[in-house]
Amino acid sequence: MLVLAGLLTRPIEAPAWHQLREREPALNLDRIEGALGQGVTVALLGGFRAMVANFIWLRANHHWERYDRPATTALIHLTTAVDPRPLYFWLNGARMIAYDMPNWRYDDLGGIENVPRDVRREIEREQSGIAFALLDNALEFHPDNPSIYIDKANIAQRRIEDLELAVEYYRQAALQPDAPFYAARIYAELLRRLDRHREAYEWLVELYPRLPPDNDAAMAPVVLGRIRDLEDHLGIPPGERYQPPARARPGVPEMLVP
Amino acid sequence: MKTIRFSPERVSIIARNTLLEAVRQKLFSFLVLISLGMILSSTFFRDFNFGSGELKFITDFGFGAITFFGSILAIVATAQLFFSEIENRTALTILAKPVFRSEFIFGKFFGVFLVLLFFCAIMAVSLAGVLYWREGELTREIPDAFADGRLVAYGDIFIFVFLQWLKFGILAAITMVIASFSNTNLYSVVMSFFILIICHLQYLARDAWEALGVLPVKLAVGLLGLIFPNFQLFNLGDQIALGERLPGELALRVALYGLVYILVFNAVAIYSFRKREI
Repeated sequence: MLVLAGLLTRPIEAPAWHQLREREPALNLDRIEGALGQGVTVALLGGFRAMVANFIWLRANHHWERYDRPATTALIHLTTAVDPRPLYFWLNGARMIAYDMPNWRYDDLGGIENVPRDVRREIEREQSGIAFALLDNALEFHPDNPSIYIDKANIAQRRIEDLELAVEYYRQAALQPDAPFYAARIYAELLRRLDRHREAYEWLVELYPRLPPDNDAAMAPVVLGRIRDLEDHLGIPPGERYQPPARARPGVPEMLVP
Repeated sequence: MKTIRFSPERVSIIARNTLLEAVRQKLFSFLVLISLGMILSSTFFRDFNFGSGELKFITDFGFGAITFFGSILAIVATAQLFFSEIENRTALTILAKPVFRSEFIFGKFFGVFLVLLFFCAIMAVSLAGVLYWREGELTREIPDAFADGRLVAYGDIFIFVFLQWLKFGILAAITMVIASFSNTNLYSVVMSFFILIICHLQYLARDAWEALGVLPVKLAVGLLGLIFPNFQLFNLGDQIALGERLPGELALRVALYGLVYILVFNAVAIYSFRKREI
């Protein structure tokens, strides 16, 4: 009777199971082998994966409050291995590693004022490298997510002050399907700061027609203003300057726009 | 001579008595209190300043409490309520009257199923209440994170809990099958917990089955996948906690799957109980 029930429910179950598996990344036990006991493994496989990851994350926060770098790092990696789906774990874990942990290491060396500049740079590079590696792993599970590239760009710009690297990450962020408008603007701004004015100009000229006029976050007038500034800087003659396409104003039909 | 037919009325009388007995027992109240405590204690996450991520933590812990304690209730309550009739010899009195064994099994099952419904309803309303309250507070504290409106899909929470109720129903029916032939309460409870684990892990065996080349082993694992229902199918809470919407078609399929297994396991329990000497 049970076999018959299994066969009868297969047409109901198979599509649902397929749909569910598509949304659920496989649990990679190899990555967490040795870190978890048998009970926890059963709990993970038995549908308590999110809860186990939450508990590990709480432990990571507990060690973070005590400035325990090895434990915090290990638990951040374990959390993301157990449940790679929440972006929250990846982004906040990378921020802890890149922004907080260098300060803990300065304190271990007697405070930031006692650490020579080149040692500080080295520590920041090391910690940022760990954070970049974590975010690269995040891309395996969230390949199109611009937030990961933006966080990498922020670490590159603010922590290790590597503008070339930050520019590249902002470019990648801006190319993702749901990228926020500011990623493209910051990319151009950083190009300008690197004296790559021509590239910035060409990027903004290509960007401007794609900006929705009725969305304040797109800041189309600001982008146009930057195009004009770059034209002045590059000495582009008036006849060759960028001519924005006619845009419909709110409430005015497009055909009436001159 | 008057023939006696299967009577839904007799089933409902047994179900009502089972429900009353379950409420009188301390187990139900105890599990409800623990689960409520777990949901309400999730406000402790405020100390960690997780921002809007706090709502995911509350949802995960709430769903975890419902799934964990609901499974315990489904197994322990079913076994206890079934064996209390056997041990107190009330089953003899009931079955000596014109009451079919199928009516007895259905009555017991529906009684437990109602207990589980109350448990799920209390949990769902409490969880939704805590989430609504915290979401309101967080919206005031960090309005940018809620610029697109509320993040929690409250309707999906209730659909998830409804599906868990069906899963607990399958589990109660499985426990009923074991209780119908076993002699002790403890044996039924332990065996049911083992089956619960098998039902949660059977998808791993099926995954391995697809990769196997040896025909007899392949057939044995395939059979295992047919006998035990796939409980991972009910594990839809993670997606909801991540802010994804639950597709209606998926929920409907899972519900249908649950209902079929509830009926089948009840039928097996009736068949097994008919052969039992009391």
